[in-house]
Parts: sequence; C-alpha cells; structure tokens
Amino acid sequence: MTPILLGFLIITGIFIVLERNIARIIIYLAIFSLIASVCYMLMGSPDVAMAEAIASAFTVIFFIICFEKYFSFTDAVIGTSGIAGRRIIPLVFTLGLFGLVMYFRPISYDTMYLGELYLANFTTDVGGENPVTAIYLGYRVYDTLFEALVVVVSVVAAIHLSAFSDEKVKTGQLITKETHSEVHESGLAVYAIQIICPLMLLYGVYLVLNGHLTPGGGFQGGLAIASFFICRYMIYNVTDLPIRKIIRMEELVFVSITIFAVSIVFLGAMAYLPEDLYLTFQIGYMLIMNGLIGLKVACGFIILFYRYIVIEHDGV
Amino acid sequence: MDMNVTEIVEILTLVLFFVGFYGLITTTNIVKSIVFISLIETAVVLFFLGIGYQMGIMPPIGTDLDYANVADPLPQALMITAVVIGLTGTAVNIVMFITIFRKYGTASWENLKNKNSEQGLC
Repeated sequence: MTPILLGFLIITGIFIVLERNIARIIIYLAIFSLIASVCYMLMGSPDVAMAEAIASAFTVIFFIICFEKYFSFTDAVIGTSGIAGRRIIPLVFTLGLFGLVMYFRPISYDTMYLGELYLANFTTDVGGENPVTAIYLGYRVYDTLFEALVVVVSVVAAIHLSAFSDEKVKTGQLITKETHSEVHESGLAVYAIQIICPLMLLYGVYLVLNGHLTPGGGFQGGLAIASFFICRYMIYNVTDLPIRKIIRMEELVFVSITIFAVSIVFLGAMAYLPEDLYLTFQIGYMLIMNGLIGLKVACGFIILFYRYIVIEHDGV
Repeated sequence: MDMNVTEIVEILTLVLFFVGFYGLITTTNIVKSIVFISLIETAVVLFFLGIGYQMGIMPPIGTDLDYANVADPLPQALMITAVVIGLTGTAVNIVMFITIFRKYGTASWENLKNKNSEQGLC
C-alpha cells in the first residue's frame, strides 16, 4: 500500500513540476500533503502524520492569503537560453546525481539499536506511554529547545522583514476598512464554523494534555489551537487580538521552557525527590512541557497569520 | 534483482526528492521555488520514516511492544521537529517573497537578476 501511495506522490510532484498556474500548484500541494500524511500513518508514525496534516493546512492557508494577488504571474520564458539550457541539461544533471546517490545508497540494516533501547527504558526514564513524546521531551530535549528557538526566530524574522512605516501597524491597531474574507456573508458557512470552532479548540487542548499517552503533543495541539483563531477571523472578520502582547507572551514562554527544561533535565532536579513523588513528578514534567510548547507554537502561528492579514491588507 | 519492500520505499522517496530537486533548478518562478522546497522537505521526512519499513508495521504506542513489528520511535521524534521547522521556514520564505515583490515588482528570478544588474547590485 505504501509504495503505491509513494507512486501517487511522485506523480503529483511531476504535475507540480509541469504546471505553470500558481493557483493549481497550491491545490496540487494540498493533495500532495494529504497523501504524504496517509503515508506517514502507514509507516507507523501517527504523531508525524498528525503534525503534517495540520501543518499542510497552514501552508495552504498562508499560500492562498499571500499569493491571491500574484496568481496571474506565471513563469517568464527566458530568451537567452533555449530548451536545452532550460530543461535538458538540468534533467541530465539530476539523473546523474540520482545515479550517484543510488550507487552510494545507505544500506538499511534491520537493527534499530537506539530505538529498542528507548522502547525498553522510556517508561522508567521519562514516563508516559508514548515513546515519541518521551524521546523529544526526555532523551533529546536539546532538539525541542532549538526547535522552540527556531520558531521564535522565524516569527521575529517575519515581523522584521515585513516592517512597514505604517503607523497603525506600529501601534498594533490593525483596523482595516475593507474586508478580506467573505465567509461571514454566507449564513451556512458561519453556522457550520460556529459549531466546529469550539470542538477544534477542545481537540487542540486534548492533544496537548494527552501527548504523553496518545499520539499528539505540544506541536500538533498548538497548531490546532492556532487554527481555532483562524476560523474565528473568518467568521467574525475581526483583527482585534493584542498582537504585541502575544509576541511578548511567546518570548516569555520560550524563556520559561528553557529554564524549566534546563533545571529539570540537565541539572537533574528530579533525583532529589523521594521515590513515591518521582512518578507523579515525571507525568507533571511532561504535562507542563507539552503545555508550554503548545502555548508557544500556538502564539507563534497566530502572530504569523495576523501578520499575513496585515501584509495582504496593506496593498501592493 | 530481488528487492524487498524496504528498499522499494527507500528508492521511491529518493525519486521524489530528485523530482523536487529538478523542479527547483529549472523553475524561474519564486513561488514555485518555495513550493519545491516544501516538497523536498516532505521527501526527506518520508525517507527517514521509511528506514526499516515492513508491511503492516505498528505505531510505537503503549508499553508491551513486540520489537520485531514496531516502528522506530527515534526518527519520528526528530521528524516532528522537522515538520514544524519546515512550516516556519515556508512562512519566512513567503514574507521574503512579498518583500521582494514590493521592491522590484516581479515574481521571476530572471527579471530580478536583470533588475539587480541594472542597479549594479550583482
């Protein structure tokens, strides 16, 4: 089943290569991410499948918001180099690289030494019932810290790359005259989204709180919580969130993640606890870390989404 | 040439990676470049998760696990991070494209190069 789906992925990729219309490319990208998500699920990794499903929805929303005005721009045909320069030579180069990689291909061994070590010990070392969460919160918590740092840096970069001289952006008053989304004019859509919205928020909180027991965790739950705010924007068409305060909150949450993780994991604060408190505190550590990561990811993507709305409204 | 399903999955993900690579080096549109970067990221994630793939492999949830038929949890924990970082990278790429579009009024790498060389920037 998985090889067939991978074949579909390759076909979709070739469609994207051959297509020149930007709007169709974005639709193909959504289909591509959906098939990829099913592939991850069949490869036995529901955590990554969930993350990819929500992340691809965000990618498509970002693309559609930002490229609405640029849909008419297609590839400019280059006059200087002919079909050989544009297509044939890159194709030969790519095929040569592919042959080289196939020749020096890493051979898959059947052993998974480190994985088995983690699977055997994660309940006593870190706690919980989901080894994936145990790895990214316990054994490899450095990765999570740097991931959090990358999210903060991206948000800061997105804000500073789109720095305007506009006063209303500087003061955080995002008052917009024209309406961006026309969803609020359709009664059926508003009614449907109003029913779905609270369930999405509930689902995000569930993913965050049950990350150590079931597939899910801070990243996926945070993205689901951020999608609640996107739906809220679509039905009420309001930009009244205090973005400055959310940015400050994200920075504070990042600092607290770092301090908490460093004090618990690297300094070994849990070793001083008595035996009966130890198990309780393990679960508490995972809950707090998942909650903080979820809050931080949600803050970051709310800021990015509202920044895009401001960029879009500002006009070209 | 006998190949098991693990090798087939590995080769297909490599093919997908090079489809994205070919698109990235041939396209002249900035938006398409951003799309191909996210496509290559998906191929890399698929490659990592496909290591040791078997038919009917089980997700590693729970405590009583049969190690012979369960997926490796280590690449999964790394790839969750990679997916989220890929999303933020795409977001920053989009903002950079919009800044370039406002400054130069073009969505094509070639036109951008021409405009830069007119101004003596490169």
